[in-house]
Amino acid sequence: MFAGISLGLRENTVERIVRTAIFIGLAALPALWQGQYALGLLTLMAVYGVLLIGLDTTVGYLGQINLAQAALFALGAYGTALAIGAGASLPLALAAGIAGALLPGAALALPALRLEGPQFALSTLSFATLSIIVLNECESVTNGALGLSISRPLLFSLPLDATSFYWLCLALLFVAWEASKTLFRSRFGLAIEALRDSPTATDALGIGALRHKVLAFAWGSALAGLAGGLHTMNFGYLQPAAFGYDLMVMLLLGVVFGGRRSQWGAFLGAAVIAMLPNLLSNRTLFSFLVSFGCVLTVVPPIRALLSHKVPLFRQAAPAIAMTLAVTLVFFIPNVEEWRKGIFALFLFAVVVGFPNGIAGAVTATLRQFIHFTPLPILPATGGISSSKKTEGIALRLSDLCKSFGGMRAVDNVTLDIGQGETLGLIGPNGSGKTTLVNLISGLYTPDSGSVEIAGKRPVCGSLMSAFSAGAARTFQNLQPFHGLTALESILVCQQGGGESEAMGWLLAVGLEGKARIRCSGMSYGDLRFLEIARALSTRPRLLMLDEPAAGMSKPDIARLIELIGSIKRAGVPILLIEHHQNVVAELCDRVAVMDGGRLIALGTPNQIRRDPKVIEAYLGADDTERDNMEARQC
Amino acid sequence: MNLDFLALAQMAVSGGLMGMAYALVAYGFQLTHAAGKAVNFGQGELVMLGAFTGLSLSGCGLPYWAAVTGAMIAGALLGWFVERTAVRLALQQHNEGWVLLTIIVGLFWFSAAENIWGREDKPFPVPWPESALDFFGISVTWQELAVAAGALGMMTLIELARRYTMIGIAVQAVSADQDAAELCGIRSRTAISLSWAVSGIAAAFAGTIIGPVTTVGPTMAAALTLKAFSVAVVAGLGSSFGLLLVGVALGASENISGFLLGSGWREAPALILLIVGLALRPQGLFGKKIIRKV
Repeated sequence: MFAGISLGLRENTVERIVRTAIFIGLAALPALWQGQYALGLLTLMAVYGVLLIGLDTTVGYLGQINLAQAALFALGAYGTALAIGAGASLPLALAAGIAGALLPGAALALPALRLEGPQFALSTLSFATLSIIVLNECESVTNGALGLSISRPLLFSLPLDATSFYWLCLALLFVAWEASKTLFRSRFGLAIEALRDSPTATDALGIGALRHKVLAFAWGSALAGLAGGLHTMNFGYLQPAAFGYDLMVMLLLGVVFGGRRSQWGAFLGAAVIAMLPNLLSNRTLFSFLVSFGCVLTVVPPIRALLSHKVPLFRQAAPAIAMTLAVTLVFFIPNVEEWRKGIFALFLFAVVVGFPNGIAGAVTATLRQFIHFTPLPILPATGGISSSKKTEGIALRLSDLCKSFGGMRAVDNVTLDIGQGETLGLIGPNGSGKTTLVNLISGLYTPDSGSVEIAGKRPVCGSLMSAFSAGAARTFQNLQPFHGLTALESILVCQQGGGESEAMGWLLAVGLEGKARIRCSGMSYGDLRFLEIARALSTRPRLLMLDEPAAGMSKPDIARLIELIGSIKRAGVPILLIEHHQNVVAELCDRVAVMDGGRLIALGTPNQIRRDPKVIEAYLGADDTERDNMEARQC
Repeated sequence: MNLDFLALAQMAVSGGLMGMAYALVAYGFQLTHAAGKAVNFGQGELVMLGAFTGLSLSGCGLPYWAAVTGAMIAGALLGWFVERTAVRLALQQHNEGWVLLTIIVGLFWFSAAENIWGREDKPFPVPWPESALDFFGISVTWQELAVAAGALGMMTLIELARRYTMIGIAVQAVSADQDAAELCGIRSRTAISLSWAVSGIAAAFAGTIIGPVTTVGPTMAAALTLKAFSVAVVAGLGSSFGLLLVGVALGASENISGFLLGSGWREAPALILLIVGLALRPQGLFGKKIIRKV
């Protein structure tokens, strides 16, 4: 549609230039916009900026609704206040604030992050309520509901006036921003992104879901503590009631309004919630803003009408909300009283109309008009190389059992896989093949029996432990990391090595041309190959492929056979579940057959093909016999 | 010593009876969670609006029973409205936005209630006497009895409808598998909307029975959401009998810890137990463990 401008710069560079310019502008602002009140607002915005960048780590990056951030902010603020009361200097007081939020935050994170969705939200909400109760009731320490007054401490024996303190806050915001951005662009950030899409896959590939979640939550808590400390020094007065449910909802909505998973979003959200009370008191400005917003939201439904379609409710809903907001602003005498209501309408319009927030919408628009230089792709190195062949057993199962209710899904299975051997596992649907792989990889805990991988006995029912013993697997129902590109999916899984090695793994499975494509945009067949590359990049001592050819086209299956053949030649032991006869016949040294949870046959592909029990399991019993049975049933 | 024990028992009984009301609000969470895997983080606001509607209707001179019925109709409409405007839109976008949208809609209700009915707490008039009954030295007011009987009756009624009417069974089918239910000719959307409407009815009814005990004001919403949500999650989002037990336990524990530790600490022990309980048993005390399938 549009040609677009080409800047000849990378997106990252442009972002950094714009951000630095804005920070310089903000630092210069007190010279233009004078007055104690304005300075207070700007400082508050910087403090909220730090706080919301912290909140975004859980709400945005982890994708969990965190309702504890306001309380952690309060704990940080009180930590700093108490340190100042004890005579601490400014850096020490801030450190006390960080510790004041970080320690309880970490204590909450360990139990809470095992939970998801509503349960996680509830445990953070309980923590927040509990913290406010403690602050209110421990009167001897916090002075309870009456509040605590403090004066700003010296910075290296220099007194800070309001302007220099504002600069300090701005500098810390910049540091927090840069640090968060770096953190979430590193392998750590990729892991966070990956575990949001599939915690099972991240555990099975040794990335470790809980560890990363706790660290991310701790980082968010530390930022809340820092913000709390700055808040104490800015305001000079603390009261538990100020950090309650209202603030929490405001913070949460600020992040969503600005845009999740983006430091820009957190910054914009902070600006809005800091300025909001002010905006509402300036009626002309506020009416203008609301009307402008209303016009913006009316565009999509009108566009739909112009192309002779009835607008969807989703398109029309923001416009309806904004129209209601405009009506309230222009026809209600006491707008101040309706503050929360109008804000709610505003937010409704943003959340429904721009699910990625203001920052997300602006970025998407900019990407349409400006062409940034894409990131370079490094040459591939490494790939499938022969592994250290050790004598012995790659996998040993003894008397493995697993029942679900009354159903014996795996019944007394005993099986060995030798080093360098490829074992095919076949059987009708529901015969227990995937359950067996789930038991080996640690997703399920066996009822009895034992698993030994490459001579080690992993802890039963722990994906991570099975991984450390050397197991890696793919999934029958794909578990891709939707938000990551193909290259990033490998980077996050591989043990050591950089982008070139990751490219090597992609080359090995034939996906080198799709390195920068997101998994959400890849075809089913490509994702199956990517899963194999992911598992390979962990350099497994036992590779388990759960129906890799399911749903693949014929040419893809040929590619797959070639790929598994090369893995096999490299000496990696493989457990291969497959339905396609040609795949099994061509690749497997031995074939094991399961039916009804039991192992009914084990032998070379040729032996298995002629085994009467296997034929019966697949094709049913002899025809004459079945006729007799049917006759008897009648 | 004996006196202390009696006082504790008194606290436990009156707290437990109030806890029945928490269970009723929590039941509303359970209904919507079963149908569409979403809950209303603004459920407390629906309780509050139900109470206010009932209050206004009885202010117009309607008898108590008519006012309660009116509140329940309003509750049904509000529940349906939340589903239609907030939850369905967010679930179409496949993200966690529904949590935020229900909070946002709740915020709007809160602001509207503040402006329509004012910020002060108001008493809720009831037809039954203010006096108390005496059971072995423990006094139980008629109001508390009404709360317990109302909550129990409402839950039983909805549960019976869910289990033994054709529509209820259709809703259960939708909870089990939306697509499969649709293939059998059940309209999933209608079933989910219906669940939200019934959840709204439960919330509004809870408002009219809690109102007389606690007085009615906009601030009742937030605390109720937390308590009811705790009950629902601790009991597990699948067991209606568990809700009653946990609700009664929560109500009793609040009263007892308020009595022993001081009113400021009222909610603290329950909150600590909640966090620990969730960490040990994420699926809830009465919930079934979900088996991950890959």
